[in-house]
Amino acid sequence: MRYVVIGSSAAGINAVRELRKTDRDAEIILVSKDRNIYSRCILHQYLSGERTLERLNFAEKDFDTVYNVNWMKGREAVSLRPGEHVLVLDGGEEITYDRLLVATGSHTFIPPIKGLAGATNYIGFRNIDDIEVLKEVPKTAKHIVVLGSGLIGIDCATGFLHMGVRVVLVDFAGWLLNKQLDERAAKTYIDAFRANGVEQYYGVGVSEVRVGGDHKIYEIELSDGTVLPCDFFVVTAGVRSNVEFLKDSGLELSKFGLVYDECGRTSDPDVFGAGDVSGLSPIWPVAVKEGMVAAANMAGRNQKMTDFFASKSTMSFLGIHTMSLGMVTPPDDSYRVDVYDKNGVYKKVVSRDGVIVGALLQGDLAYGGVLQQMIARKIDVRKVKKPLFEIDYSDFFHEKANLEFAYEL
Amino acid sequence: MYRIRIDRDRCIGCLTCVTACVVSHETESGDARNRVVIDSETTPAPIFCRHCNKPECTYTCMTGAMHKNPETGFVEYDRNQCASCYMCIMSCPYGILKYDSIRQKEIMKCNMCVHRSADGKTPMPMCVEKCPMHAITLEEVKE
Repeated sequence: MRYVVIGSSAAGINAVRELRKTDRDAEIILVSKDRNIYSRCILHQYLSGERTLERLNFAEKDFDTVYNVNWMKGREAVSLRPGEHVLVLDGGEEITYDRLLVATGSHTFIPPIKGLAGATNYIGFRNIDDIEVLKEVPKTAKHIVVLGSGLIGIDCATGFLHMGVRVVLVDFAGWLLNKQLDERAAKTYIDAFRANGVEQYYGVGVSEVRVGGDHKIYEIELSDGTVLPCDFFVVTAGVRSNVEFLKDSGLELSKFGLVYDECGRTSDPDVFGAGDVSGLSPIWPVAVKEGMVAAANMAGRNQKMTDFFASKSTMSFLGIHTMSLGMVTPPDDSYRVDVYDKNGVYKKVVSRDGVIVGALLQGDLAYGGVLQQMIARKIDVRKVKKPLFEIDYSDFFHEKANLEFAYEL
Repeated sequence: MYRIRIDRDRCIGCLTCVTACVVSHETESGDARNRVVIDSETTPAPIFCRHCNKPECTYTCMTGAMHKNPETGFVEYDRNQCASCYMCIMSCPYGILKYDSIRQKEIMKCNMCVHRSADGKTPMPMCVEKCPMHAITLEEVKE
């Protein structure tokens, strides 16, 4: 049996582990554009110098030896012929497989901003190569503008801040981390960034970048007419899945990315998918689990994804910690909203008919994991006689025969 | 592998286990890695890390700091590799994890007190040793 896995991030690495766990003797080939295993979630710590490349590695140091993997690093898949079980790599090399996992992730989306296509001094914040470039940027650039204030944009801004560099943030949304935070929780960060000298423009897009004769952006114009000096532009305005190499494969693709079911199966029985390549749930734990589930099915063990709750995140920018779960701003007044807001601690729980649908914890995250379960499992919490922010496992306590805890009784 | 059995009928909520945890780990902040909470019927519930077979905290860890030891079955935590992103706090289904209260860097994670043993891998949980009610006991279980 020969397994081929494309991609060496959360989904790919965990798939390899699972494949090896199930099948000691199979041949496993890992193909990756990346030459190193590194966690994209902590690239800002590499930018700021808080972490070396070695310490970005989330897997075993000698991963390929430990799991007996033929790792073709620095290689890119360029096309796939599923009928023949052939994957074509850069340079035209063809490798065959019995089962293939596509865990190619996603890339930075470059929006069609007027002038941007002809410019050279812009980049995304996605790959280690992006960060290598950005590390050098402050040596020459004075006005770095970051487009987008989602988790990646704010990662970028804080990474630079640790270097003593103050970027300018621009976002079309009304406040930063718009998907994760309500206005109140966002204000804490907006004020903190302002106090640290980070200029922020919300509710506006970039309508044009102006490029000089040297192909370099020198200023940008916002949708409200504001003109900002800019000598380097970082784009964090979403991602697109890496499915270009599949366009002639015949595999079913959606407008978001590769289509696969809860077992990781694509429209071809021997091709599986996992992680950001679906374009659906771009978060670390989903990629890890999809990688494991797909690998189990590739190796003939039936497993299904069961955790579909993906609107969740934690953050700790500028020493301010926040956990965001589900719907944090109710769409109408049919929801109950419980709020605690005192001494730098802000907690909010949104519920309806006894079921929690969203929660925000800021300034104190201790033991917050139970809230995620309440939301994901749609548990009726009306029997709990304590404030919803303080909900804990005691009212759901159940010890299994092997002494694990469980929710289902 | 070994897990700590919890017998709620015996627990009187005296918090000796919580104190034992603080003493065993000598954490700068004096935070414990276990907790005892009171349910809506006012019965105490000791909440201790289960070192799960499928540990959500490891699946969500983006640095590899939280990982399961295949030999002992224990979920281990490497504070030097940790990026303090707190995803594990969010992911623990039973609300066992928190960060230390002084630096807010280190995750308060049970290690079954293996640091107390000579070989560094034998569980010697001080909470179990000190519980006056034998409400928590160390037992070998099938994974």
